[in-house]
Amino acid sequence: MYRFSLFSLLFLCSGWLVAQTPWETPADRKAKLSTVAFTEQGQTLGKELYQTNCKSCHGDPGKNNVIRLVPLPPDPASVQLQQNSDGSLHYKISEGRGLMPAFKNVLSAEYIWDVISYLRTYNKDYKQQLAVKPTAGGEVFDKVDLKLERDSGHSGVVVQLTGMKGALVKPIPGLEVKLFARRYFGFQVVGKPVDTNAEGMARFEIPKSLPGDSSGNVLLVAQLSDEELFGPVKAESLLAIGLPVYRPPLNEQRALWNVGQKAPIWLLIVYLSVVFIVWGFIFFILFQLRAIFKLGELK
Amino acid sequence: MASEVNTKFLQDKRLDRIATDILRPVGVDRSFLIWMSSLAMLLLVCMYAYYIQLDKGLIVTGLRDYVSWGMYISNFVFFVATSLVGMLISSVLGMMGYKWVKPIGRIAEIIAVAFSAVAGLVIVSDMGRPERLPYVLMYARIQSPILWDVTVVTTYMTLSILLYVFTMIPDMAISKNRIGHAPVWLQKTYDLLSFNFQHTPGQYKILMKSIRILLILIVPTAFAIHTVTSWLFAVTTRPGWDSTIFGPYFLTGAFVAGSAAVIILMYVVRNSYKLSRYITAEHFDKMGKLLFLVSIVYFYFNLNEYLVPAYKMKTFEAHHLKELFVGEFAFMFWSIQLSGLIIPMILLLFKPMRKPFPMLLIASVVLIASWFKRLLIVVPTMEGPFLPKQNVPDAWMVYHPTIVESAITLGTITLAVMIISVLMKLFPVIPIWEIAEEESAHPDQQPVE
Repeated sequence: MYRFSLFSLLFLCSGWLVAQTPWETPADRKAKLSTVAFTEQGQTLGKELYQTNCKSCHGDPGKNNVIRLVPLPPDPASVQLQQNSDGSLHYKISEGRGLMPAFKNVLSAEYIWDVISYLRTYNKDYKQQLAVKPTAGGEVFDKVDLKLERDSGHSGVVVQLTGMKGALVKPIPGLEVKLFARRYFGFQVVGKPVDTNAEGMARFEIPKSLPGDSSGNVLLVAQLSDEELFGPVKAESLLAIGLPVYRPPLNEQRALWNVGQKAPIWLLIVYLSVVFIVWGFIFFILFQLRAIFKLGELK
Repeated sequence: MASEVNTKFLQDKRLDRIATDILRPVGVDRSFLIWMSSLAMLLLVCMYAYYIQLDKGLIVTGLRDYVSWGMYISNFVFFVATSLVGMLISSVLGMMGYKWVKPIGRIAEIIAVAFSAVAGLVIVSDMGRPERLPYVLMYARIQSPILWDVTVVTTYMTLSILLYVFTMIPDMAISKNRIGHAPVWLQKTYDLLSFNFQHTPGQYKILMKSIRILLILIVPTAFAIHTVTSWLFAVTTRPGWDSTIFGPYFLTGAFVAGSAAVIILMYVVRNSYKLSRYITAEHFDKMGKLLFLVSIVYFYFNLNEYLVPAYKMKTFEAHHLKELFVGEFAFMFWSIQLSGLIIPMILLLFKPMRKPFPMLLIASVVLIASWFKRLLIVVPTMEGPFLPKQNVPDAWMVYHPTIVESAITLGTITLAVMIISVLMKLFPVIPIWEIAEEESAHPDQQPVE
């Protein structure tokens, strides 16, 4: 009991201690900015995300109905929260501390930006500063583009990364690309990430055992690893590159769980024969009534 | 039941006495009219409750998202269960040659007819849209135990009615000229139901053959009807229902309820109809032993049904069993097990307790307990779903039957009692020809008064 009390006391104090130390954000994360402008669409999504993930502790923004914890979770409309830079908010939401959970495994980096865009609607003085244009090797591009296709002459696929600046189109070397395959639930990573070569190309081997649909089609997705710098740059392609696998739908064959027309044969036979036999006897017996009646007339 | 009928009983003087005794209460008298009109008034009130349910929907009942099977389905199981006794007494004991069941065979048949006929209606009372009942057949899914249940309930009801009618044909022929005191329409009905029966050997041969087929058919059908009813529960994985012994568990429980119902009606026949010469203290003693036998078998199945899961205490079963043993349903559970099973079993071991009046009391308690036992099978499982109960009003999480629901249930019981009353009062309640044949074949053995 004594040890338990001591432990509880220490636990309670730890919250207070944490509350006393300021929550510092590393300089590089603090300066980070969103690559996309905050839009009304993003704010609506952010509101939805806020209500499912944050509201239980942080309450309704501006209503000051936060949950009474130590330290007190700040109201999103408060100065205490709004004085944070965009990058700082992103860092704190991603990493968490003490009772504030880390959301980096729950929400994607993009979703966290959406939440921030919603939080900023409670700050009239806020003006969004966009991240500088995507850069690679010291060059600044207006836009980067990924293309995913079969690697002619090889068994795998090739991803082509190009940057655009005005009318100029140039391959970008030295950036990491990831490849995913669409599965029933979510995406599966295929192979290891590959850096683009001098021609801006990244080659991936596709394992022969990768299951596709009945014609071997697999939906592949290539993505830049550094999503935050370039925004969500993706390329999708449906390629006949997998192992053809035919999975009959569960409702194709006769089964107990299927519709009435696809009832198992054995069940039909058992049910119908029992019904016919029993009701055959019942009708036979009804005819016996007639026989009894007829015999009575004879007498 | 012997296949050959010795028709010399027709010339025996004793036939006259037996027929007079048994036909004396038959007919429409003042007390019967008062009894039936009070039942009819009660039924009207209950039908008004059903009108409310038709108008407003199932929201007037206590049934909600979690407990969607409440009193109605429990009542259905009770009706099906009680109706099974027709098979036990007439078929099983009759065909095994137990002669003492002859006077009470028809009482068991009356219970079978009334309860199986009303069982179908009880199911309709659970439907929010009863006009969609034909959909069960129009869009039949042969894989569904619901379709099997509809099939066997209909079949069992037909077989029970046929058995009742067939075993009564010779009685109708004997009685049609002996009920001068009864209304003309009843005499005409007797004439119609006698099917021109003249007691010729040829007619007896056909009759006995048909009865034998019916008696044999009714055994598997009765097993099927209650096993399928139990499968409506047991084919799901819910705690408390997910059991491989649910079929025999329901069947043995049915015999307990049915035997109790037969004992109650035997007492009514013996005392109100003054037929103690035919339904003797000996019959009550024998029925007492039968009730003990079926109770101890049912007790054995109860032991398996509760003790085996309670030994393992799997997560969800444990929650269910705790609710029954020490939780919300503990009072109901222990009252039912003690007063409906264990105490009657102990009492029935003593001969004085197997006398008519103590038997009436025991049987009444057993029958009432068996109604509540069905409620205990249905409701606690539905109140304990696998996933947490959430996002519904608090009142929806537990089951509280409403007055409307209880009135409709009372209405179905009233209807069954009315059918039983009509069949018992307007037709011979004891098979005249079988008793006469028995007494004529063994003239020295007089029944004990």
